[in-house]
Amino acid sequence: MTEQHDSIILNFVVRVLLVPFIFVFGVYVLVHGEASPGGGFQAGAIVAAGLVLARLTTGSEHGERRISTRVLLWLASAGIGIYVLAGIVPLLAGVNFLDYAALPVEWFNAVAGHERTNRAMGIFIVEVGIFIGVFSVLVILYDHLTERFTDD
Amino acid sequence: MKWLTAALLLPLAALLIYVSADLPDRGDPDAPANLHLSPELVEVTERDIEIPNIVTAVLADVRGYDTLGETLVVFTAGLAVLLVLMRGARPRDSGRSNER
Repeated sequence: MTEQHDSIILNFVVRVLLVPFIFVFGVYVLVHGEASPGGGFQAGAIVAAGLVLARLTTGSEHGERRISTRVLLWLASAGIGIYVLAGIVPLLAGVNFLDYAALPVEWFNAVAGHERTNRAMGIFIVEVGIFIGVFSVLVILYDHLTERFTDD
Repeated sequence: MKWLTAALLLPLAALLIYVSADLPDRGDPDAPANLHLSPELVEVTERDIEIPNIVTAVLADVRGYDTLGETLVVFTAGLAVLLVLMRGARPRDSGRSNER
């Protein structure tokens, strides 16, 4: 379960065809979550599933060298941090906790040439935080649940 | 004991089935659930947030505090599992300590 498979077909199909597609689809679900069903939780689950698939074929040893538990823990904390920051910045501006209307993100409209409300931007920032947190936690769970099997 | 459970549950089932006939139709705009809060949420999404997906607007903005708690629950659950599974592992190398 955690050893590397040597099948070239499996490696090609998973690492060249499937996993990149799953990652792109996960990011699509994340950024399109405000127009269609989707959002941070779903996108995090999808991208984590892609990474778990890659680890199933390339083996956990090889996979974990790329993103270790330590990095994933930092990532999960950073996801929560993004969310909390999106709540605290409006607090410093003198309005309620998580009141995205006070977030200083108006510059994005000029950069993108697309009119968006601050609250829509706040929703997106928060979704990115949820995405990073859920993705990291799911991969941590996979890594440490499969680690026990190698002990037996 | 089995008959006692049945004797208690059958009247309850009969009551619920009888009551369900009076429930409003699905998607009925005049149902009580659609009169109080839903129109306000639709209006807020259209007026202040301007995104097409009302569900996302409610999840991340109107109920942002709730969603923050949900994310913290996921994070805490991951930490708890990590702590339980890493019990006995040597400190300093948080990865796989044994070579196999």
